[in-house]
Amino acid sequence: MVSSAIAAVSRPFMAMSLERRKTLGLILLAVILLIFPIVNPDDGDIDNAANALAYATLALGLNIVVGFAGLLDLGYAAFFAIGAYFYGILTSFQVMPLWSDVWGPFAYLGLVEKMNQGGPDLVHFTLSFWLALPLAALTAAFFGILFGAPTLRLRGDYLAIVTLGFGEIVPIVARNLDSVTNGAAGLNGVQAPRLLGYNFGIDATPYYYVGIGLAALLIFVSTRLRNSRVGRAWVAIREDETAASAMGINLVRFKLMAFAIGAAFAGMTGVYFVAKLQTATPEMFNFNVSSMLLVMVVLGGMGSVWGVVVGAVLLQLMQTWFLPQVTGWTHSLGVALGNSYLQNVDFVQWTQLFFGLILICMMLFRREGLIPATRKVAPLSFAAQHAEVKRGGFVGLDRIPRWTPGAGNALEIRGVTVKFGGLVALNAVDLTLPAGGVLAVIGPNGSGKSTLFNVITGLVPADSGSIKCHGVELLGLAPHQVLEQGVARTFQNIRLFPNLSVLENVMIGRHARLKSGPFSSVLHTPGNVAEEAAAKQSVLDIIAMFGNRLTPRLAQMVGGLSYANRRRVEIARALASRPKILLLDEPTAGMNPAETLELAEQIKSLHDLGLTILIIEHKLDVVTKLADSVVVLDHGDRIAEGLPDEIRRNEQVLTAYLGRAARAAVMEETDAG
Amino acid sequence: MTSADLLLQQVINGLSLGSMYALLALGFTLVYGIMELINFSHFNVFMVGSMVAMLTLQALGVVGQDTVMTGFPLVGVLLVAFAMSMVVCGGIGVGIERFLLRPLRAVKGPPAMITTIGVSYVLFNVVLLTLGTDAKNFPNPLPPIVWNIGGAVLRLREVLIWIIAIVLMGGLTYFVQYTKIGRAMRATAQDPEAARMMGVEVDRVVMMAFFLGSALAGASGMIFGLYYNLAKVDIGFGAGLRAFTAAVLGGIGNVPGAMLGGVIIGLIESSSGQIVGAAWTDVVIFSLLVLVLVFRPAGLLGRIAPNKS
Repeated sequence: MVSSAIAAVSRPFMAMSLERRKTLGLILLAVILLIFPIVNPDDGDIDNAANALAYATLALGLNIVVGFAGLLDLGYAAFFAIGAYFYGILTSFQVMPLWSDVWGPFAYLGLVEKMNQGGPDLVHFTLSFWLALPLAALTAAFFGILFGAPTLRLRGDYLAIVTLGFGEIVPIVARNLDSVTNGAAGLNGVQAPRLLGYNFGIDATPYYYVGIGLAALLIFVSTRLRNSRVGRAWVAIREDETAASAMGINLVRFKLMAFAIGAAFAGMTGVYFVAKLQTATPEMFNFNVSSMLLVMVVLGGMGSVWGVVVGAVLLQLMQTWFLPQVTGWTHSLGVALGNSYLQNVDFVQWTQLFFGLILICMMLFRREGLIPATRKVAPLSFAAQHAEVKRGGFVGLDRIPRWTPGAGNALEIRGVTVKFGGLVALNAVDLTLPAGGVLAVIGPNGSGKSTLFNVITGLVPADSGSIKCHGVELLGLAPHQVLEQGVARTFQNIRLFPNLSVLENVMIGRHARLKSGPFSSVLHTPGNVAEEAAAKQSVLDIIAMFGNRLTPRLAQMVGGLSYANRRRVEIARALASRPKILLLDEPTAGMNPAETLELAEQIKSLHDLGLTILIIEHKLDVVTKLADSVVVLDHGDRIAEGLPDEIRRNEQVLTAYLGRAARAAVMEETDAG
Repeated sequence: MTSADLLLQQVINGLSLGSMYALLALGFTLVYGIMELINFSHFNVFMVGSMVAMLTLQALGVVGQDTVMTGFPLVGVLLVAFAMSMVVCGGIGVGIERFLLRPLRAVKGPPAMITTIGVSYVLFNVVLLTLGTDAKNFPNPLPPIVWNIGGAVLRLREVLIWIIAIVLMGGLTYFVQYTKIGRAMRATAQDPEAARMMGVEVDRVVMMAFFLGSALAGASGMIFGLYYNLAKVDIGFGAGLRAFTAAVLGGIGNVPGAMLGGVIIGLIESSSGQIVGAAWTDVVIFSLLVLVLVFRPAGLLGRIAPNKS
């Protein structure tokens, strides 16, 4: 009966498209939120709801730093404090310099007023709440950059402890700079916001509505950012820093951006929170606040915008409603049973114990949070995932623009030496790759092949030498700058971004060729929309070159793909950066002979489009098929260079690969044959 | 007091604080050296150690500052209290490792660190809810023996703290350098994968690191009580951050480095009270932490950690 009724009601709802359902859900949520103070006019409840909104906005900001960019910030409350004190100091009676005519224009703008409490005229700051919101955001962002700049170069775990330190320093400074902050007693008489002559006063309802506005704004900003070039760069950094920088992402810049934007969210919330409380004390911003926000983000789901909002609301509900309720019930039970412990226990005091338990349980049993950032994709049907080995190279190449060989040599390496301690990984290696050519680098394990790739792409510094790409010196450039110069690579042991979809992985490859920053991404400026659309189209064209290997799997996480498909995604990602030179590090490793042949022919067809390729490969049939020329490395020395067939018979090469005795045997055989 | 006396007094105080931080820093360094994990639960394992030592002393009849003991009873009471806090803390450390961190060992990124934050919270609040927030009078059975060196004062408890710290650090150094499992620990710190292939039981090594580190935190907690004559639920955070700074300063993962770093931090703390005011000591120490990490991340004696490539 009941279930059929529910089914009848929900049927039209379920029949809608996902987009419509989302819109409808949002409208419903908005209506509920807007009428809540009318339905339930209890000021305490509305105040709790307004606080929940403040926590939600803070959690959204922390989510940008921790969830998106993967930077564990344990001192996030510091930025909350900075925003709070910014507004508190500029609207209270704490700091009152002597009046002089310099303040006249500010008084005209309503930012200050002349005040006389007996004695000389003083300046009373009266910054408008609405102006303070963006200004505090900017101030906090500035401090985010200031704190971040020296520390973001550190490894992630060190960052956690340094931010913890900053998070402690800010309340200490607030406590001890009495003249500015009134010390431990806190700022008093902070001015309430006004809007069109209406003073917000101490009633919770207007703050609640401002909170909704703020939360809605920050959800909107978070969502837009996450689905933009900036958001992709952040998650790429979270997933694999090395691969992110090799794909053209400026690590320092985007980490600082995450720090600054996260801090800006906290700064705005600080203004809101202090305006609501009309006081600010150092205790409001200690480590407990930072860690409570971390619990919210972890509970909801790191990186999940709606998840962290839900996490914040749930924790606030737990503290202000659930635990007091349970305490009440337990007391009643205690009375009924005559048990004095149960009559006196106060679960509200257990709040932080539950925080700890939530952190532990979420990490052990549900790391992705209550509302995971990435949704599971339905598995492909047999027909959809059926793929046969394709011969004849890439398909749909007509959509891919041809490469025009640039002037001079694509790559000129002169005397490059790399030492690791006493080990010489590369010894004065010379190598020339003409534009449009395919050069293979071979050599036994440990001969320096991968080091060669690492030094070209800026992952390993060279001790001496020069590497020029079309005349531009690459040595000394950071990995992302090397990519900007048009050198893209794949890794021997595949470095994709495992928790991102195929489409996102390849889109990240496009990063360096796009320009959108955070502002145009949030505002969806026409330029940004056009750029994203064009980028997506060209990425889809690249993915489509692999036939139906990748196209049906666009939305799948690459972590779950087959080995060969992950190799293909990595090649697609490198191609998406539209490189001048493609560096392939053992692209066919781990593939079966049929797949190897397929990929070799595909690489060949890239060459036919005019792309310059440098390839490390062990399989000599692949090398013979592809390469114009082969360079052989052994123990860091270049021991031979020539046509593939010459190399096969080169004595030194055979010695390096097979040892002296075996070489003799092979030479005899070839001589006999 | 002349300024030379003042300096000497600060060195005496600094060495005592430094001994405490060094023992605590060893726990960070052992765990970090082997698993590249900042163990935030260590902060409050230390606090629990202080509480266990206090409760043990009280159970043995030493209450407040009034019970003074000498000779064998004194040595016996101190040994029991140290042993108790070390065993309980070591046990907590092993429990944390075995049940909460081992399941996460293969997981990359922050989950393990977040778990240790959660554990730290749980330890803190369990003590808070059972023993309360007030500062407790930590029992001190030491006779009030004092030596005057110029204008500076050297008390028996400082000498005792130094002796305990030296014995424990010496024991640990011997253990790490000359025993079979110590060698296995060093091997694991260098390269866990290679160590495993050579037959090292990595699980046991990790558990041993947690046991030793936590036991030293327990001893350190007792030293805190003896030095300040108080035990309080919120001592873990400040002491823990100082000890972590000490570990980083000496070169994280590096056992002698942690000892050196601890002593330096102790000296800085005892002198910064004079120079910049006690309220700013934390700021000085955190700034030092940031400066070391930025300009000399390997610390004074070099960093030892698994080379993850």
